[in-house]
Order: sequence, then structure tokens, then C-alpha cells
Amino acid sequence: MIDPVTVSVIHGALETIAVEMGYKLMRMAHSSIIRESEDFGAGIVDRHGRGLAESAQSTPLQSGPLPGYVRGMLRQLEARGDTLHPGDVVMHNDAYAGASHGPDVGFIVPVFMGDNLVGFTATTAHHLDIGALTPGSCGIVDAIDAYAEGLQFKAIKVFDRGVRNDAVWHILRDNIRASDLVVGDMEAQVAAARIGADRLLDLIRRYGLETFEAACDASLDYTEKLMRLAITALPDGTWSAETTIDGFTDSDDPARRDLKIVATVTVAGDQLLVDLTGTAPQVPDRPINMPFVGTVDIAVWLTIRSILLDTAEHGHIPVNEGLTRPISIVAPKGCLANPIFPAPTIARFAPGNQLADTVMKALAQVVPHQVSAGIGNLRVMAFSGDTAEGPWVHMEIFEGSYGGRDGADGMDAVDTLYANTRNNPVEDIESHLPLRVRRYELREDAVGAGRWRGGQGSVREFEMLADGGVSIEGDGHKHRPWGFDGGADGHAATLYLQSGNERRELPSKSPYRRVKRGDTFLCIGPCGGGYGPPFLRAPEAVRADVADGLLSRADAAAAFGVVLTEALAIDDAATASARARI
Amino acid sequence: MKMIGIDVGGTFTDLVYADTDSGAVTIHKVSTTPADPSRGMMTGMEELAAKVGVNLSEIDTVLHATTIATNAVLENTGCEAGMITTEGFRDVLHIGRHQRPQHYSIRQEIPWQSKPLVKRRHRLTVRERLTSDRHTVLEPLDEDGVRAAARALKAAGVEAIAVCFLFSYLNPTHERRAAAIVRDEAAGVFVTTSSDVAPQFREFERFTTAAMNAFIGPKVRRYVARLDEELRARGLDADLRIMRSNGGLATAALIGELPVLTLLSGPAAGVLGGAWSGALSGRRNLITFDIGGTSADIGIVRDGVFVEAAARDTSIAGYPVLVPMLDIHTIGAGGGSIAFVDAAGAFRVGPRSAGAVPGPAAYGRGGTLPTVTDANLVLGRLDAGNFLGGAMKLDAEAAASVIGDLAKTLKLTPEAAAEGVLKVINANMANAIRSRTVEKGLDPRDFCLVAFGGAGPLHGADVAAMLGIPEVLVPPAPGICSAMGLMTTDLKYDTVRTVFARSDRLDSAELADDFAGMLADLEAQVVADGIDLAAATFLRAADVRYFGQGYELRVEVPDGRLSDGMVDGILASFHARHAAEYGHAFPEKPVEIVNVRLTATAPHPKLEGVPTPPGGTLDGALVHRAPCVFRTPDGLRTFDTPRYARDRLPLDTTLPGPAIVLQTDTTTVVPPGATFLSGSDGNLFIRLGVSP
Repeated sequence: MIDPVTVSVIHGALETIAVEMGYKLMRMAHSSIIRESEDFGAGIVDRHGRGLAESAQSTPLQSGPLPGYVRGMLRQLEARGDTLHPGDVVMHNDAYAGASHGPDVGFIVPVFMGDNLVGFTATTAHHLDIGALTPGSCGIVDAIDAYAEGLQFKAIKVFDRGVRNDAVWHILRDNIRASDLVVGDMEAQVAAARIGADRLLDLIRRYGLETFEAACDASLDYTEKLMRLAITALPDGTWSAETTIDGFTDSDDPARRDLKIVATVTVAGDQLLVDLTGTAPQVPDRPINMPFVGTVDIAVWLTIRSILLDTAEHGHIPVNEGLTRPISIVAPKGCLANPIFPAPTIARFAPGNQLADTVMKALAQVVPHQVSAGIGNLRVMAFSGDTAEGPWVHMEIFEGSYGGRDGADGMDAVDTLYANTRNNPVEDIESHLPLRVRRYELREDAVGAGRWRGGQGSVREFEMLADGGVSIEGDGHKHRPWGFDGGADGHAATLYLQSGNERRELPSKSPYRRVKRGDTFLCIGPCGGGYGPPFLRAPEAVRADVADGLLSRADAAAAFGVVLTEALAIDDAATASARARI
Repeated sequence: MKMIGIDVGGTFTDLVYADTDSGAVTIHKVSTTPADPSRGMMTGMEELAAKVGVNLSEIDTVLHATTIATNAVLENTGCEAGMITTEGFRDVLHIGRHQRPQHYSIRQEIPWQSKPLVKRRHRLTVRERLTSDRHTVLEPLDEDGVRAAARALKAAGVEAIAVCFLFSYLNPTHERRAAAIVRDEAAGVFVTTSSDVAPQFREFERFTTAAMNAFIGPKVRRYVARLDEELRARGLDADLRIMRSNGGLATAALIGELPVLTLLSGPAAGVLGGAWSGALSGRRNLITFDIGGTSADIGIVRDGVFVEAAARDTSIAGYPVLVPMLDIHTIGAGGGSIAFVDAAGAFRVGPRSAGAVPGPAAYGRGGTLPTVTDANLVLGRLDAGNFLGGAMKLDAEAAASVIGDLAKTLKLTPEAAAEGVLKVINANMANAIRSRTVEKGLDPRDFCLVAFGGAGPLHGADVAAMLGIPEVLVPPAPGICSAMGLMTTDLKYDTVRTVFARSDRLDSAELADDFAGMLADLEAQVVADGIDLAAATFLRAADVRYFGQGYELRVEVPDGRLSDGMVDGILASFHARHAAEYGHAFPEKPVEIVNVRLTATAPHPKLEGVPTPPGGTLDGALVHRAPCVFRTPDGLRTFDTPRYARDRLPLDTTLPGPAIVLQTDTTTVVPPGATFLSGSDGNLFIRLGVSP
């Protein structure tokens, strides 16, 4: 029986190692998607494939899947009759064996003490390009199957017993655009994972394998217990929710658009079941299907954890496998949330975040004070082109916004739920790329009205300073974030392409298209849903939004029943009578 | 020269008097007067002057570490500030990097959204646009627009205005012109520009730094002016020097313009004080370890040089701040840190602290939760009758009771539970030190741990043992190390320019121009401050990365004409630095010089040393003996442990542990197996026979 002091000390050391891996990866990485957007993961996994710790800097959708990568890799090695040796480094991105999707390539270092495998360190990162049909690794929305998405790595040893497998690295260089950046990032991933492996081995040696493993088991049991306690506090029962994603709104095929996501949450004692039955069938030839392991599981776990064990309430909680043990997930084979190979998955990002939002909508019926109203989803755009020095690719993630919360407005213009990346500074973009950012502000034309209003979306304008290409993947152009408990729905995102005098609206998913110098994208982000009846909003809060230029006086009166004088004083009498009319 | 150093902390104001001619050093402590810190300072100075028998008018320099700016940020009590910014970019401050501080939280607050430094209604935009090419003006400045905005903000009652335009770090002319117009239109308002405060790329971080400068500007400026007045009123015409976050001193006039430079004033002085003590004994590789009631500050000194934080790692209260700061890592671990077992059975210590009120149970002020201090008392490491030199009696029964309750929950003996509290908090601190050393390619075993603050010397030996650090040094006056640190440094000025120069197409002549321009700027500042330019020295540096990377590493740029050969040298030292920092270099890849930096140092008189302690005999130093619990290879054991008065210990004599060394401002624990020595230079050493 291990003492709680040693458990605490060893867990702290594991987190320190994971943080160091993330820190080094982020700092060594070359492309902005990793070093600025922080779309990467780093963590430690035990020899059974159970997650032990993750780096605090990385985005949840990257660190969360790491244990799944390791288990998928182990299965594939076993199927091939291959085994791991000291000095191996394995590259893996199989979305049907644990990977989140193809561009998120994992590098896994098995850690050996003598001949004994004692654990794994691993890093993932979203790579700029993975050799798909068009430049970039987002907005590949016309890939018809897994083969069209780019290179597939199924447990490939890039180092074998310490010897670099040059052939693989040549293949990478020859099949990936902007390969200097991408291969540089991969090397940084390997270096960071190896540093983690050295540190992990030091740690295990310091305490001995037996003590180390006992401490890890105790940490996993601990977080499991935390989650079970949180679930036990809920009443038993079943709650269901449904939302709709755009899919391909410009498609003639109804099976490709307005697709339902359904989540049914059942609480029974200290267990929680999330059943996704009812979710639309997979789209066999368009890549918005979500890998069940690597995307769907992460979306579900993240949402439940963020609501039931909210960091703002509970402080820091170790992120490890124990948190997920009390939760089971069911999705029928062949639906969007559990596709069958080779259905393509590369553009699963927005659907997955919508799935997370749907789980929150189901839980909102049980724990209304712990959720937000509907979130605004994200959009990713890949800008690309050619210069004298070769092709360039830049990926930009466009933020969403949160719905209102009990006692607080929604967070404005941020990444939502399973995404938590960073934008690129305008001054960095314009210093290194033929792009100009003309505007980056909050929306002033719409509000998710509620007692606690939804977060405001953003407006960004990107101008091409050279001919090039753009690919787009997002969602939520048609279906609005849901209002909650009497709050109004939020507002959808929109995207316009201005080319000369012609302005046209683009759908949320838009494959690679050529664009000309001077073409400008006007990117309008979604506003989150409102929480509670708008007519209960404090008049002073409405006045503040008008003073801040986020809301017009007319909308203050129409949406909130708050009447303001020209000098922006609250007209109490007029407000009372406007509100009484409802 | 006669100097007084004053460090105003949350609870106490520490003062040091030093006469650099006679070598006299006297210390003094008074209570802080939070409503108006200058009151406590003046009382303290008058008392101290009386104590040493000097007239205040004889004092040449007053050195000051202040928390006035820091508190204004932490307590959100700055002014109503305004901002004038580039059209299309009104919400840079609000959107930030579009990232939430917490991954796993629906109900979190984003500080820059819930507590904006400048409200949206006071963020006004004007037409103007510069680009990444410093010679191109895409859109000229709309001066009428600036005028109108300044008037509107003035009418709205703002006390300060920050002018923040895109790309101003490359071309500050629009910001400067706009600032001049604002000064015209809005007399009496504090005006600041982002290019003056932090001329570096990344608009959210730069604008936030400027906005913070505006937010705290009027308050700090008033405070500095008031202080100066109070000094004059007491017949002092001493120069007032204020500690900057980068470990240099600044004139009061400079801090009146750039208060944002003082956010780490106190902690920086602490690192200096610790480093100075180490240097007294010839130690050049130091980890400074300052533990108070609620937090521990960790700083690194390599080869006698203070490590500055990378520009991307500097922040306060969650807001990024792009100003030079010493690399000080703060964690929530101190004497007041509370130990608890959470609902699911995990044993945790901190970051929640009992603070000063109610404080640890041992303080007898109604604290009912077990803290680190209680654990130290239960184990006999603190002496109930000799805490703070006997000024405060500790309640051993109360400590035993709260630790006893914890022990029941943990199903351990009270001693094991108390030792567990220390082990967890020490491991937290050791992890923090590991992250500042091992992660940066430094081996802690090559360092000396300088332990100070009220609780540092209690934990120093245990933390050092966890890291394999062979030696712990306790400075002469561990409780007022920061006030001493004030007297150990020079005036510093610095400037920075973002250049984005790629190694494969680098123009060394252009780089030389940049340095020449910065030199002229700094020289003008030094002269304007009335400092002798001839005595100033200049140090050049560059922030460098591989092309495509987002994080830079700082390398020195040697003196002399900037030639291609010198550039090759800079690149070579970057590759080496990268390999040391990350364990990996990419020598074949192109390199980008992102920023160039210039620092001017103008010498300031310093503390040379402290008087040799009186010394004595071991028997004479013995206060009493009492049981004390330590972990040994055979488990926990109780030792009959001598408690010595530090100032009576025989000098330069190696003595065996276990022992507890008492002095008025701290208690030093020497575990069994270790030795200790009171040096004639004033430092106390613990030597550990460690193997981590």
C-alpha cells in the first residue's frame, strides 16, 4: 500500500515532465500552427496505454488522444508481429487506430528500463501539410476517402533501435509541401519526446519501478474517484439533446447537409453513459466523419470534465485516464461519430466541437448552473501560394464564442470547448506572409440576447497581397448557437469573398480555390446563445453594452426592453413598461 | 556615501542603512501602512536615522522597492484609462490571443475581458496604417481624428491615454505625433505610447503593456511625486532611486513615465540581495530561494549574471507584459500553505494559504487548518519560544491538534503526517527549481541554494537534498534580503528594436545602424536623467531564433564594429544556446534575428560587505536542546537537537547537524548528516552529503 505523500510527489514530477516536453516542443517548432496557435500535445502514457499526465500548454484535442495513439500503435505492431525496442521512435497518424485525424501526427518513444518497457512519452502536433490533394491540412473538404487526405502512417518506426530510418524521412520530404517547416516540426517532436523519456526514466530510477507504478495506479484511482463523486451528485436519469451541423450546405445531396448530432446522457449511480445513437449516418465520401477514438471520445470527456469538474470551481485536477473510467460512450457503427474505414475524417474538427456542444446541451438539463448556452463553432482557413523560395502555407484558426452562463456573460471571441488554440499576431502574419489583416474586432451587429448574453463573435478581414489559394473548413453558418432557459439563440457565422467589386458568400466548407492579389476575405464569427430571459438582464449591463458600442439603442429596447435616452441614461419608466408588456 | 534602502512589503517595511565609507550597516523593520505606504517609510527612516545617529539631511541616496504598481494591477485599482488605436483594431486588448486561460472550465473568467485595462467605450480608433516594411506608410495619420478622440476621452474623464498603433515598433512616428496632439488637447492626462513602453512585435502583448502603463501611470506618478515631497520636507535632498523588475535602478522621473517597469520591483531586489550574499563568499552559480507566508520566489544567477526572462514569458495577474524582468518564478508555497485531503483522498498542500490572518494554527489567531508552519512546529524545527527572536509565542498545542486531525484522515502518525506536509511542499518547490534549471540544460548540482525570506532557511536543506544541490547559503539578514539587494546594483536603461533580419540575407550595415540609433536614444535618456554619461557602459544583445520558430533565445552581441564576421559569431552562439536550452540544434537552418537590445549601466555606489559577526563558542551559542524529528534511511527518528544563536556561533568552524540555528528574522534547519558553518563574511553555510 503506497502512502499518499509519495503519490502526490510522483504525480507532481510527472506533470513537470509533461510540461517540459510541451514547453520545448512549442519553442523548437517552426510553423505557426504549433508555436503560435499551440495546436500540439505532449504527455506520458504507461506501459498499458493509460494516460498519466499531459502538458498544460497544449490544446485538449491534441493531448487528450495521446493514450489512444499509443494503444492504436501497439495493436498495429502486434498485428504485424513487430515489437518495440530501446531506441525506437514510432510515427503514427491512423485515424482508425487512435489518431485524432491525419494531420495530427504522433511521435511515440517507448521507454525502457533495461529490457523492460516501462512507459511511453509522446507528442502530437497539427502539421501544416501532410501531402493531401491540395495545399495545407485543413479545408481538404473534398477528400473522398482516407487515401485522399494525405500520407497515412500506421506505426512507422522513424528510428529503429536508435538508427534513423532515412527512407521514411526521404518520403516525408518528397511528399509534403513546405517540407522544411513540417520536417523541422517533426524533428522537434521527436526531440521533445526523447527529453521526456530521459526524464521519465530518471524519475522511475529514483523511486523504483514498483513504487512508481503503485503511485501511478493510485493517481488513476484518485481521479476516477473524483469523477465518480461528481457523477454521484447528479440525479439518476436520462437526458437527450440534438443539434444540427451545416455539413455541405451547397450540396445537392440531402445526405450531406443539415446533419443531426444526437447525444443522450444517462446517469446511473456513479456511472455516466453517453449514447450518440440518432446521429446522422456517416458521409462516405466527404471528410466530416469523426474518428470514434481520438475525436469523439475526447469531445465527450472534455465536456463532461469541464462541466462537472470545472477548473474554476475545483482548481487543478490531474488529467489522466482515471477521469474517463466512469464514462462510457456508445455510437452505432457507420454514423458520423463512428465511421467505417476508409470514410474520410480529415475535416472532423467542427463536427467534433459541435458534438461537445450537444453533450453540454444534454447536461444543461441536469446541471443548468454549470453550463453555458450554445457555443459558436470555429473555422480554419489555409492560405497558400508560391514564392521564389517555394510553396508557403499558413493556417489560421478563427475563434468562436461561448454562450451566456449563470451569473456571467459568455466569453467573447475565443476558441470553444475542445479547441483552445491561439491566434497569430497581425504583426507576425504581415511580417512573414503575403497577407494583410485589415480588421480584427468584435461584432457590433448582433447579440445572443439573454439575462446573461452570449459572447460576441469576431470580425476579421484578410487581404491577399499575392495570388494564391485558400481552403476553408468550419461550421455554424446556418444553424445558430442555442439559447438556454429563455435566452435567445445566438448568431451564425458568415464568410464573404470580396474580389474586385464582386462580393460573394461562401459556405462553411469550401475546398481549395485560387484567389487573386487584392482578394479579401471578410470572416464573421458566431455569437454564442443567450442564457435566461433577456428581459431579466440588468438594465445597467445593457447600458454598458450600448456605451461600449456593442449594441444599438434600438436593439437594447427591442431585444432587452431597456429604453435609453440619447445621453444613454436608463429611462426607468419606459423600461418598466416595455418589460411589462412581455 | 550614506544610503538608505527601503523595501515595502505587504506586512513589513524593511530598511537598511549603509555608509559605504565606514562600512557600517544597520537594519530596521516597521509595519507597512497600506493606505499610504510613504507614511510607514518616513517613520521607518526617522527611527533608523535616530538608531544610527545620523541626520536625515546627510543621506545621499534613498533606494526603494515598491509594490504600488503591482498592487494597482492585482487589486484592479488603476485609473479610468483611454486608448487611441488603429482603425479596425479596437478590440486587440479584448480578444487577446483568443485563448482561454483554462482548458477545462465553462465558468472561468478571462481577466482582460472581465477586468479590461481600458474599457471598450474608451478605446477609440483613428485612420492610420503602417506595415511590416518600416519605410511604408499605407495610410497617413488622421490628425483631426486624433484630436477628436483626445477631446472625447478627456470629456469622458479618463486620467490616462495609451496610443497604440500597429507596427509602431518599426516606425514610431505616428504614435509620437498622436501623443503630441493628445498632450495638446488633453492637458494633465498621463500619455504613453506602445513604442515607448515596449517597441517589440505582437500587438496584443505590446498594447496590453502600454495600456497597463496608462492604467497605473497616474497613481504611480502621484506616489513618486509625493514621496519626493516627503523626503524634501524632512530636509533630504537625496536622489530617489527605484528598483526596476530587471534588477536595475531607475530615477524617479523615469518611473513616473514608465511605472510598468516596476511590477517585480520587490522580488527583483530579493534576487539581487541573495546573489550579493552569494558573491560575498565567491559563489557565482546561485539559485535564490525566497519563501514567505504564501509564496516562494525562485531566481537563477549563472556565472554571476542574472537571468532575464524571455519576452514571451513575462506577465502579471494573467496579463502579458513586454518589459525586461528578471526570470523570477513564483509558486504558491509558503509557511501559511494549507495541507488538506480532498474529497477523493488526495493529499495536497497549497496553493491556498492561511495568510497572516488567521494564519497558521500555531499563530493562535484562530487558524484551524493545518499549515506548513504547524508541521514545522510539530516536528520541532520551529521553536515555540524563539519564533522571530521570541517576539511571537507559537501555540504548540494548537499546531499539534490540527496536524493530529490531518494525521487521522491520512491514517498516519502525527509526525509522519507533519513530515508528509513538508515533503509535499518541498517537492513542489523542488519541481519548480527543476523547471528553471534541468529544463534549461542547467545541472542544479552545480549551484548553491541561497535560502532567505522568513521560511527559506527552514526548507533550504531539504529542497537542496531533493535536487542534489551540495550547499545551502543563508544570508546575514535573511528577512530583509530585498532591502539589502537595493544597495547592490547600478542604474540601468534599456531599449529594444524588432528587426526580423534573416541570416541568409542579412545586412550587417543596417544592423549597425539600428544599434547606433538605440545608442543615441539611450545616451539621451542618461543625459536627461542627469547621470554622467562617461561612466556608463553599454551591453548589446539580440533575440534570435530559427526562421519559422516563434520563441527567441537571447545571445550577447560583442562590442565593436558590426561586421559579417561578428554576425557569424552571433549565429554560432545562438546554435550553442539552442542546443543547451533544448538539447537540440539545427545548424543547417536559416536563423532570424528578431530583436536587438541595448542596455546602459551607470554605476551606483554599493554595499561592500557586512561587518564580521561577533562569533563565540559552541557552548556559548547553545540556547537549549529539544527533540526534533528527521527522516533517516531507517524512517522517522527523533533527535535531541541543539538550538544555537546564530550570532554567537564560532566563526569559520565546521559543525555537525542536526541543529537548529536561531536568529530574529528566521530559523535555519540543519538536518542530521549535514554540517554547517558560520562564515566570517556573514553568511551561514549548510553542506549536505547528498545523493538525490
